[in-house]
Amino acid sequence: MLGEIPQLLVNGLVAGTVLAVPAIGFTAIYAVLRFPNFTIASHATIGAFAGYVANTAGGWPAAAAVLAAFVVAGALGVFNDEVVLKPLRPAGALTTAIAAIALTIVLENVVRFVFGNDLRGYDLPIRRDWQLGAGVRIGPQQAENLVIAVVAMAALFLFLAFTRTGKAMRAVADNATLAGIKGIDADRVARLVNFIAMGLAGVGGMLLGLDTSIDPLTGFRVILSVFAAAVVGGLGSIPGAVVGALTVGLGEELSLLVLAPAYRTAVGFLAILIVLTLRPRGILGERAY
Amino acid sequence: MTDIRIDRRRFLIGAAASAAAAPAVSGALLPAVARAQGAPIKLGTLTPLTGAGGNYGPSMRKAMEWVAEQINGAGGINGRKIQLVSEDDQTNPEAAVRAARKLIDVDKVAAIMGTWASAVTTAVAPLCWESKTFLTTVSGSDTITQLPHQGYLIRTQPNTHLQIGKLGEFIVSLGSKRVFVLGAQTPFAVPSQNRLKEVFAKAGGVELVGAVIYDKDKTTFRSEIDQALRAKPDMIYLNGYTPDVTVVMKELYKAGYTGAKIAQGYAVDMKLLGNVPNEVSDGTYTATPSPAVESAGYRRLAGVLGEKEMNPYSCQTHDQISLVALAIAHAKGDATGTIIKDNVRKISQGAGQKVDNAVDGLKLLAQGKAVNYEGASGPCDFTDTGDIVDCKIRFDRAEKGAFKTVKLL
Repeated sequence: MLGEIPQLLVNGLVAGTVLAVPAIGFTAIYAVLRFPNFTIASHATIGAFAGYVANTAGGWPAAAAVLAAFVVAGALGVFNDEVVLKPLRPAGALTTAIAAIALTIVLENVVRFVFGNDLRGYDLPIRRDWQLGAGVRIGPQQAENLVIAVVAMAALFLFLAFTRTGKAMRAVADNATLAGIKGIDADRVARLVNFIAMGLAGVGGMLLGLDTSIDPLTGFRVILSVFAAAVVGGLGSIPGAVVGALTVGLGEELSLLVLAPAYRTAVGFLAILIVLTLRPRGILGERAY
Repeated sequence: MTDIRIDRRRFLIGAAASAAAAPAVSGALLPAVARAQGAPIKLGTLTPLTGAGGNYGPSMRKAMEWVAEQINGAGGINGRKIQLVSEDDQTNPEAAVRAARKLIDVDKVAAIMGTWASAVTTAVAPLCWESKTFLTTVSGSDTITQLPHQGYLIRTQPNTHLQIGKLGEFIVSLGSKRVFVLGAQTPFAVPSQNRLKEVFAKAGGVELVGAVIYDKDKTTFRSEIDQALRAKPDMIYLNGYTPDVTVVMKELYKAGYTGAKIAQGYAVDMKLLGNVPNEVSDGTYTATPSPAVESAGYRRLAGVLGEKEMNPYSCQTHDQISLVALAIAHAKGDATGTIIKDNVRKISQGAGQKVDNAVDGLKLLAQGKAVNYEGASGPCDFTDTGDIVDCKIRFDRAEKGAFKTVKLL
């Protein structure tokens, strides 16, 4: 039984890293706009399909198609927020969150209307796993996903830490009123955070689909894990989302040592329960950059 | 949102169809309309238009709409038109219960037809028998007809006992020695394993070396596959639905598994073959309850749906609405779930004249003759608990992105 642990750790690490990408998007929107934006689910689906079109119709390789997923999901994210969610924000976080759930169902059905219900697979050669010795294996696609996810996250951290716009975003997240007094345009920051967050959701959706297949429910299936990752790490904290995603990813895999696989989903909820009971602000707290 | 859109679309399809039909059959239609004076008979369809069954739900519904149009065009049931109310079960028990509540409480339908996933049927069935609404389903799990449904349920799909019994015999005939079951969390997951064990114990020389039941909504099953491969199987039974089986098959390939695979035909279908490279699907066996492909009813429906090879579920829902219509006509009274329950076996089996469509059956019933309906899916004879008596299972093998039939059991 202990011999299984290395493989479970590898699986959990890959799953957690891929999960971290949309979780960062979710938590970034919460940090700046102060509401849980569940449309992350539909934008993950939209990104997966945008990448699919770029890959199959455009013939782009996976790494390039990921960019298409980012741009299309990000642009639609800004549009949807401007048209639907922004007018509702003054009514409070709960109203906006409920509207976001409704919007995600609408968007999912738009995808269904255009592409149908069928499962689709990316046009990629299927390769056997690399055997790393001691019975541990990792798929070439998984390794590529790991690299893409790490690059996307590193780019975001550098952007937030070193650019003027990135600093403005952090300022609004920290104290919107004070940032406004200092002349930071909150609307512009909101649009930017939506673009980046939904773009990341799109990348996450595509990474999930690259290794498996996509359909209109691709994003919806992972939204609970994404939510769990963000809450466990500390809602509003970007490093927290990464820590939370790795916790949920590794936790779900390692739980297989003691639980039947059918109960794996419960691990995410259990993590939320434990963290909210013992440390309600999440592992890294709310405001950690 | 979804409901409104579906209803509107349905309305448009219906309106367009009747507009198109009017000039062609106006001579026959006019007196028919004049005769159909009673209030319409409301029947509900509850099929998976979205979710894991989304490949099948739309054509299942279309088959029922077509039968309803045919019956209405020929004057309805004892002069009353059929009014179909369609809902989407989303292949999700929770959504299905909400939809069924609406069909029962708001629309007051006499029957709900077409539930597909076993988990959905299990959730909807109690609402039906408690409200005395008749339920017809294509779900296979043994547990369904064991529910205390008091006769308010029939299914046109062979149950797990029958299906897995034949699947086990087929595996034995292939000469496999070590069989592993990788199954989704469904009501038939455990009964399937038990039935396979029974069949293998009887045959000897082959054993079930292990089983894993996974959560089908996960995006990766690598750890589950590791568990399976540790048992060193030479045959894996993939007992899930298309989305998860697609992922599992790809991951089995990546993990270097070279043994045999077998799955249900609803999971490994043409769409799956189109979505995975041939080297992943080649050699996979599938088991499909075979519709009556030689029958006139099958060929007629295939023409209407524009499909050369129909999925068994469209054939089954075609038969379900036909059986419901004939049962109501046989009673010559009110159209309720109880009436359908009490009459369905009087037109589905026995010594009556054989008919393969509802319109012919209705004519014979109007002349006071007995009928025995045999439809596009098969003979449609039911046991007291609502199971079908027998069904042929076809075994195919995937080769280079297409299926070749290897055996009929």
